Amino acid sequence: MKTKILLASVIYSSLCYSQSPVNAAMFGTMEARNLGPGTMSGRITAIEGVNSDEGKTIYIGTAGGGVWKSKNAGASYKPLFDKYCQSIGALAIDQKNPSIVYVGTGESNMRNSVSIGNGMYKTKDGGDNWKYIGLDSTEHISRIIVNPDNTDIIYAAVPGALWSNSKHRGLYKSTNGGETWEKILYTDDQTGCAEILMDSKNSNILYASMWQFRRQPYSFNSGGKGSGLYKSIDAGKTWKELKTGLPDKPFGRIAMTLAPSEPNKMWAIVESNKTGLYISEDGGETWKSQSATLNVTARPFYFSTIVVDPKDSKRVYRPAFNFAYSNDGGFSFTEASYGGGWVHSDMHALWINPTNTNVMYVGTDGGIYTSIDKGITWQFNHCLPVGQFYHVAADEKEPYNVYGGLQDNGSWMAQSSGPGGVNNAHWQNVGGGDGFWTVPDADGKVVYSEYQGGNMSRVSIQTKKSESIQPKKTSKEDKLRWNWNTPIVTGANNPKNLYVGAQYLYKSTDQGRNWKRISNDLTTNDKKKQEQEESGGLSADNTSAENHCTIFTIAESPLDETQIWVGTDDGNLQVSTDGGNSWTNVSANVTKCGIATQAWVSSIEPSHFDKNTVYATFENHMYGDHKTYLAKSSDLGKTWVKLSNKEFISFAHKIIEDPINKNLLFLGTEMGLFATLDGGTTWFKIKNKIPEFALVRDLKIHPKTHDLIVGTHGRGIFILDDIRPIRNLTKEIWDQDVYLFPTPDITLNNGKYGWGGPEVSGGWQAGNPDFTPTINYYLKQRLASGKATIEIYDANGLMLQSMTAGIRKGINKVSWNLRGTPPKVAAGSAKMDGAGFTAPMVLPGLYTVKLKLNDKEYTSTINCIHDKENVDLTEADRKMVYVHATKLKTLFENVNHLIDSVSYYKLTLKTDSIDFNKNKTKKVFYSDLEKIRSELMSTKKTSIFADEERLREKVSSLYSTFCYMESKPNSTQLEAIEVLENDYKKQEEIYKALMIKNKKTIVKP
Amino acid sequence: MTKLFITAIAIACSSLSSLAQTTDEIVAKHIEAIGGKDNWSKIKSMRTEGIIKAQGAEIKITNTQIDKKANRTDIEVMGMKGYSILTKTEGWNFMPFQGQTKPEPITADELKMGQDELNIQDEFLTYTVLGKKIENLGKDEVDGTECFKIKLIDKEGIESTYFIDQSNYFTIKEINKVKVNGQEMENTTTYSNYKKTDTGVFIAMSIGSDYGDLEISKIDINPNIDESIFKLAK
Repeated sequence: MKTKILLASVIYSSLCYSQSPVNAAMFGTMEARNLGPGTMSGRITAIEGVNSDEGKTIYIGTAGGGVWKSKNAGASYKPLFDKYCQSIGALAIDQKNPSIVYVGTGESNMRNSVSIGNGMYKTKDGGDNWKYIGLDSTEHISRIIVNPDNTDIIYAAVPGALWSNSKHRGLYKSTNGGETWEKILYTDDQTGCAEILMDSKNSNILYASMWQFRRQPYSFNSGGKGSGLYKSIDAGKTWKELKTGLPDKPFGRIAMTLAPSEPNKMWAIVESNKTGLYISEDGGETWKSQSATLNVTARPFYFSTIVVDPKDSKRVYRPAFNFAYSNDGGFSFTEASYGGGWVHSDMHALWINPTNTNVMYVGTDGGIYTSIDKGITWQFNHCLPVGQFYHVAADEKEPYNVYGGLQDNGSWMAQSSGPGGVNNAHWQNVGGGDGFWTVPDADGKVVYSEYQGGNMSRVSIQTKKSESIQPKKTSKEDKLRWNWNTPIVTGANNPKNLYVGAQYLYKSTDQGRNWKRISNDLTTNDKKKQEQEESGGLSADNTSAENHCTIFTIAESPLDETQIWVGTDDGNLQVSTDGGNSWTNVSANVTKCGIATQAWVSSIEPSHFDKNTVYATFENHMYGDHKTYLAKSSDLGKTWVKLSNKEFISFAHKIIEDPINKNLLFLGTEMGLFATLDGGTTWFKIKNKIPEFALVRDLKIHPKTHDLIVGTHGRGIFILDDIRPIRNLTKEIWDQDVYLFPTPDITLNNGKYGWGGPEVSGGWQAGNPDFTPTINYYLKQRLASGKATIEIYDANGLMLQSMTAGIRKGINKVSWNLRGTPPKVAAGSAKMDGAGFTAPMVLPGLYTVKLKLNDKEYTSTINCIHDKENVDLTEADRKMVYVHATKLKTLFENVNHLIDSVSYYKLTLKTDSIDFNKNKTKKVFYSDLEKIRSELMSTKKTSIFADEERLREKVSSLYSTFCYMESKPNSTQLEAIEVLENDYKKQEEIYKALMIKNKKTIVKP
Repeated sequence: MTKLFITAIAIACSSLSSLAQTTDEIVAKHIEAIGGKDNWSKIKSMRTEGIIKAQGAEIKITNTQIDKKANRTDIEVMGMKGYSILTKTEGWNFMPFQGQTKPEPITADELKMGQDELNIQDEFLTYTVLGKKIENLGKDEVDGTECFKIKLIDKEGIESTYFIDQSNYFTIKEINKVKVNGQEMENTTTYSNYKKTDTGVFIAMSIGSDYGDLEISKIDINPNIDESIFKLAK
């Protein structure tokens, strides 16, 4: 088997390497900023802590954001899984050697939007390095347990595929730390294992709950004859079903636990026709029904966590819709207080610190909370940016804002940059519920947001007041069917056009105040797929999540507002070329190129360059098909070409075309972001600090800043600032060994923003883009030996600055601070002088850039331009500032030169004079020199907190002010220069006089 | 399913194929690439001088080392001079740039964790003698360059991960993880521009870190060193 895999992988790798030379590494210096937010986080699926570490080390598994680790009890987290699948189902720590951690990928809270996994991983070094250890086809793993008596024995509960039959499910066991796996409990290809428990005092005793479940795009079923509760007393060799006292079958999902301190005590929430809480005191042999609140028993498919205090078998926790706890062994439950603030509902994971059971962490649909009082009150961890966006948008303000809707966390907007960068405080809520499309109106005052099932509003950005704008059924329509994630779209050609889609397409030109229906039913209108009221299985569950035969995507051509495209969730792709008067369904043409008939049309991208060209993505994972479907038509949908690549491994959500380079496309998939620079022939993965398997749901290219905005379903929003190095990398360039890109004009200023204050504590912080365009060059290969230098020259050929430059393969970036070389600083102070690190900002004009790579030199120019937007500084003012800054630089250098001279003679007097101590003249001379020195610079200061300002400090301060000045200097600032110059002259004269007086004593240099 | 399977294979592939070359082979080629064991064994002391460029200003760095005995780094910025000294038994920092007015002793933890710095030899020449464990972590990419990834773990549990360029067997990146005073810290250092010295060993002339890029301009191998520099000036 291993040989086969090796062979297959060699073939696979060789296929990969035969493709385009362009790859992610070429753009490695372009690091995306993760905007977070930490304000609202995302769904947490697993929490495990290291028992021996006082509860400081915690691992977190998330629905779409990978694995995170905190080493400080949640004060900060670090992502560990950026190279692997982001959907996490289960975590387990080998508590005997807590550097060993197992991760089961594929979340098992089986909601409509749940992602899929690709097996099990193991680390032996606390998460720095991971090894794939099998179970690759299981898709969902709900629990992993490590046998504490023999930590090579591991069990994995595998519910398995949600959308299709599969044999890769059941209970798996490994006896060699995950090297090989054996399936030890299996029912059928529709039933998986949802939970596994081990008796805390006898590791041979196991309990397993089996669960039959299935989703279809339009319905969900939890329960069936396959579900059941089982017990083994021989470590999984044989099993018996537990029935006594439990309700009649069929069962759905069973959540269960046992008390670690008294493992015969068990609790099970059994989904059935009589869903309820059942308690056993004899290791599951017999059960008694116990009345319980709705919070304890609701939504069993989604809330499958029940936990008992490690020390106290009476204290039972049920994190579910809300957080409930019992003090009497589960006979009654109380809900947590809101004393520490609101706690996000929908809970899926709980870890109790076994050494201090007052302390616990709960994982919700909106992040992690910590309690130090046994779950009564909770504090939110603001630093875990695992928000699950469905869509992103941006306006064109300065700085621009990003907008997006999040799974169970509403709709939000935040500035993309600003003083001090972007932090949690910048996020503003513009809608509740599950958020999806959040679209700014071109007027800059309004944003459209929605919650599940098409409940859309027009929201004032200033006041946040919202008005419902959802079109309603009139006598001329059937009942309206709104997708859970209903599209709200403004026109790419005419941004005043607002479109929304039920099964019909609606258009408004007055911000949703009036609507015109511009189509008939554009879906297949298959009635069999519209029985959502029957959905859920044993527990009814109709939350609009399964609404079907609806419009899912809408796109207006950027070239023509009368060309409108609509895609549905049931496979229809429709186009109108007359503003919606008539429609053509081209789905049959799509099918001909090899795309599944009923696949959701996940995105449509009409070209910016040619009215007949359109790209579209399709996704069919709800039928168990994970293929990446991407196609292009050049004849308005009549014929299609499927675009594919060996690196694509999961279903496609979004295709966008760069508005400048028509060969540059970006593709967002459930497992990674891809780009092509040759119109779709060859593709490469975008990494750039974006997790390699990120669930990329939406993409935008900002028209002014050239930023790529990436909306992920589990890692929040990323901004890859200024993608022009990618856009401009053509074949002609990548074939060269070295290429120095032209630098865009640089506007002369200190950046757009001032200092934004210290970094906020405990939140999430995204920085700002480079304050000025960087000098970019391309190296075909890493420079094997020698070094790279960037030099900047002015028009007279004078070198202003020499900078160490990168040698990496691909794009290298060097940032020039728009200044020359700082002045030299004389020694002798107890404090660093900032002037020694700054120089006047250059004047507008052309500057030469020389890239030196060993003996080779590459040249280009930079055009520095005056900042016309700065009303405080005319070009004449700028020159004035420059002249005076330069004058101060000279003065600073003169002062330092004089200090050096004084110090030199002081030193030589002592070191070269044998008779110094006896020679009074020399001693007086020495003391006079020191007097001058003490006027020129601070000499008494012994600490950075004991300020002493002398001439150098005064000059330094004024010089720095002029170097960073972005307005006309005021009269006192100009006068101050003269005062300092005179002060200098005075000291210089005193010095000269002293030297004349002591000319006989002077030791010549 | 097929796609998932292929993903899994691809993942498996990266770990399987990387082990095609054994750890010993990689280490042997690395040692050969940096000048060979014999040449390295002749190095008893070394002095390097270089600069870090910062906003157009220059920071002078001089490092003086006696193998297995002492290490001193001198830093000069704007005429201000600071240093750090490390020996087997003590260590001092004097960083006036940070407001220090006199040398401060390092903590016992820092002394223990810093002992590796006394080793002038390449890590792969001494790891067995020093009782370090070696782990081959397969291949990884550093700035687009395919590397062997090898971890050394010393007796104190300090982990250092080395990224060795598979085309020339030079180390181009190193990550050190140390636990000092209750905090775990991770330092990343990059190496490039390897130059052959008169003694036949290859030394990286460009060393990058979070604190800037050090360009080495001069290397003295086996210079005469006044050992008093490793003691505090009285």
